[in-house]
Amino acid sequence: MTAFLIHNMAPIMFASLVVVLLLGYPAAFSLAAVGLIYALLGIELGLFHPDFLQALPERIYGVMNNDVLLAIPFFTFMGLILERSGMAEDLLDTIGQLFGTVRGGLAYAVVFVGALLAATTGVVAASVISMGLISLPIMLRYGYDRRVATGVIAASGTLAQIIPPSLVLIVMADQLGRSVGDMYEGAFIPGIALAGLYAFYVFLVTILFPKATPGLPVEAVGFREPNGDRGLTSLAILTAASAVFAWYMMRNSQTHGADFVVLSMFIGIVFAFTVAVVNWAIAHMTGIRVLSFMAQQVTFAMVPPLFLIFLVLGTIFIGLATPTEGGAMGASGALLLALFKRRLTWTMVKQATEATAKLSSFVMFILLGARTFSLTFYGVDGHHWVENLLISLPGGQTGFLVFVNIFVFFLAFFLDFFEIAFIVIPLLAGPAEKLGIDLIWFGVILGVNMQTSFLHPPFGFALFYLRSVAPKESYIDRVTGKRTAGVTTGQIYWGAIPFVVIQCIMVALVIFFPAMVMHYKGLGTGIDPNKVKIEIELPDISIPDIGPPPAIEPPKIQ
Amino acid sequence: MTALLKLSRVIDACNIWIGRIVAWAILAAVIVSTVNAIVRKLFDMSSNSWLELQWSLYAAVFLLCASWTLIANEHIRIDIVNNMLPKRVRDSIDLFGHIFFLLPFATVLVITGWPFFFASYRIGEQSQNAGGLTVWPAKLLVPVCFTLLLVQAFSEIIKRIGVMRNLIPDPHAERQHAAEAEAQEIIKAMEETDTEHGAKP
Repeated sequence: MTAFLIHNMAPIMFASLVVVLLLGYPAAFSLAAVGLIYALLGIELGLFHPDFLQALPERIYGVMNNDVLLAIPFFTFMGLILERSGMAEDLLDTIGQLFGTVRGGLAYAVVFVGALLAATTGVVAASVISMGLISLPIMLRYGYDRRVATGVIAASGTLAQIIPPSLVLIVMADQLGRSVGDMYEGAFIPGIALAGLYAFYVFLVTILFPKATPGLPVEAVGFREPNGDRGLTSLAILTAASAVFAWYMMRNSQTHGADFVVLSMFIGIVFAFTVAVVNWAIAHMTGIRVLSFMAQQVTFAMVPPLFLIFLVLGTIFIGLATPTEGGAMGASGALLLALFKRRLTWTMVKQATEATAKLSSFVMFILLGARTFSLTFYGVDGHHWVENLLISLPGGQTGFLVFVNIFVFFLAFFLDFFEIAFIVIPLLAGPAEKLGIDLIWFGVILGVNMQTSFLHPPFGFALFYLRSVAPKESYIDRVTGKRTAGVTTGQIYWGAIPFVVIQCIMVALVIFFPAMVMHYKGLGTGIDPNKVKIEIELPDISIPDIGPPPAIEPPKIQ
Repeated sequence: MTALLKLSRVIDACNIWIGRIVAWAILAAVIVSTVNAIVRKLFDMSSNSWLELQWSLYAAVFLLCASWTLIANEHIRIDIVNNMLPKRVRDSIDLFGHIFFLLPFATVLVITGWPFFFASYRIGEQSQNAGGLTVWPAKLLVPVCFTLLLVQAFSEIIKRIGVMRNLIPDPHAERQHAAEAEAQEIIKAMEETDTEHGAKP
């Protein structure tokens, strides 16, 4: 019996973990408890030294001084402040108007704004709730199919998971031991491509079921010129002029890929903004306008998000800031934006601070629990057991990727992202690397895959967020005065399913076209962590060696 | 039992109070990090003590707010099976978890954490990074966090027994999905912000 236990400690331990987690006690403490129980058992069986658990405080300290994870509260805080700054409202109103009578226009606007919000911050709840509150009632008013409307909103909100700067990518980079900057660079194109696929789905629906996604009626389209013109020509000219200006400024630049996109966008928006402000000032003084209302409105709505994107992503991509610093600057930028819009209040800052504190606590405690578990699990060579199991899968790289993705897709039904990231990902990193899989590519594939954990009926988080803001009962529409039926939970579930399928298609695309991700290589991305620390030769101070062999620790990144 | 329930209320109040105050360190970390990033770029100067201060502030937040998060029932659970069980069983699982999962975890870290801190304190350990901070205040966070959590574990046990004996109403009676609770909190906060905003000229 004892011999059996000693030899099969790793599988037994893993099985216990599954059972204990399913009990439904907070995951952080369940993980820690399983680690501790088996540590005590191991000491009893003579597998570990009696001092084994002395390593625990040092492990916790190791989690504490992790600069990368410091980005979690920064981006969360930024998202919570932004959500109340009214930025999403302005965007959705304006972009919805821009698409006007185009069939499916509101749905395109949701996808576009979802991608834009996602590139600004990384909080799914914020995006889904804003879009559910603003766009859903309008979509229902003009007779959108409820499944299409809810599906587009929930899915576009989850873009925040995969388009940088997302919390998922930060945690993924940390757990895989890679740089966050590279992870951002690698996820950029798949993220945009995914938004493109969503838009393509909307396009298909408009072709196949024209009634499901009507355009706005003519009288609902606003921002008209006095002569009734929509002023789109003016907007097109302004856009073209900004693009030419940006191209002209960037023509000799050495940047590529995402860096180029972000920098050009920044230059373009500065140009457009300057023109819009000058136009506004002149119109104010003389009454003569060069730009149409529409052009001015679109410019003013687009400036805050694009500026924030530059402040956060731009500085990270060009190597001006570390992701953590980018997060802090974004949080400060969001505070300034809210102040500028005269929406900053004491209550709002207090709520954002407290919500961020509790979120940080639960996320970091899952990590602490996972580290306690892994102290024992790696101690009994559990990682080798998993590695051998996975490497022996038939089909080499592809076999491994297919299996792992199906496994994670299945896990995503039950577990939320942080649990998968802290428990499962570290176990997959070793085998993936052994099989010669690039870990950034691997991380992006899993990132797209885990987005489904937000969309899976019936437990997907995005569906819950949307349920909370979608009308349950029928109500009288504020504009048309007609009685409008509520949205059923079933409609939300059915709406999400096409997007789960799109998600799977995207996973396959990233697997078969690695170039979408691999361009991150060879770009001078991110920042050299060594430059951040001020290095001075110090006499070698020996630190007490702690716990299991150092190979277990994921490589420390600053 | 009444005395115990009173004790539990005092513990809860203390831990919520601590959490609410420590939470502000998030804002401090944002400011420190922003200023540090700007100063580093513009004047090409920085110091490891600022970098270390950032993560110390964050560590203080997630460690010292853990008990408050527990009181608010915001430590995430895998509730797929749990939600299908009758209330009585769920209560028992919670009680079991408090006693056999949380309590031992906190105890082990209290036992190992205090010597961990004292070892650093006694030698006045300095950060290995040039110009870094003194290490022991950060290390002190570990035992303090788990001592608070240990005390909170007792409070949770008392409350759960109280609930099971119908002495007090269940503080987590509305067991919703975590996402639902989160969404409602956000919506409530939005409404509050809006009213406040509307009240101003």
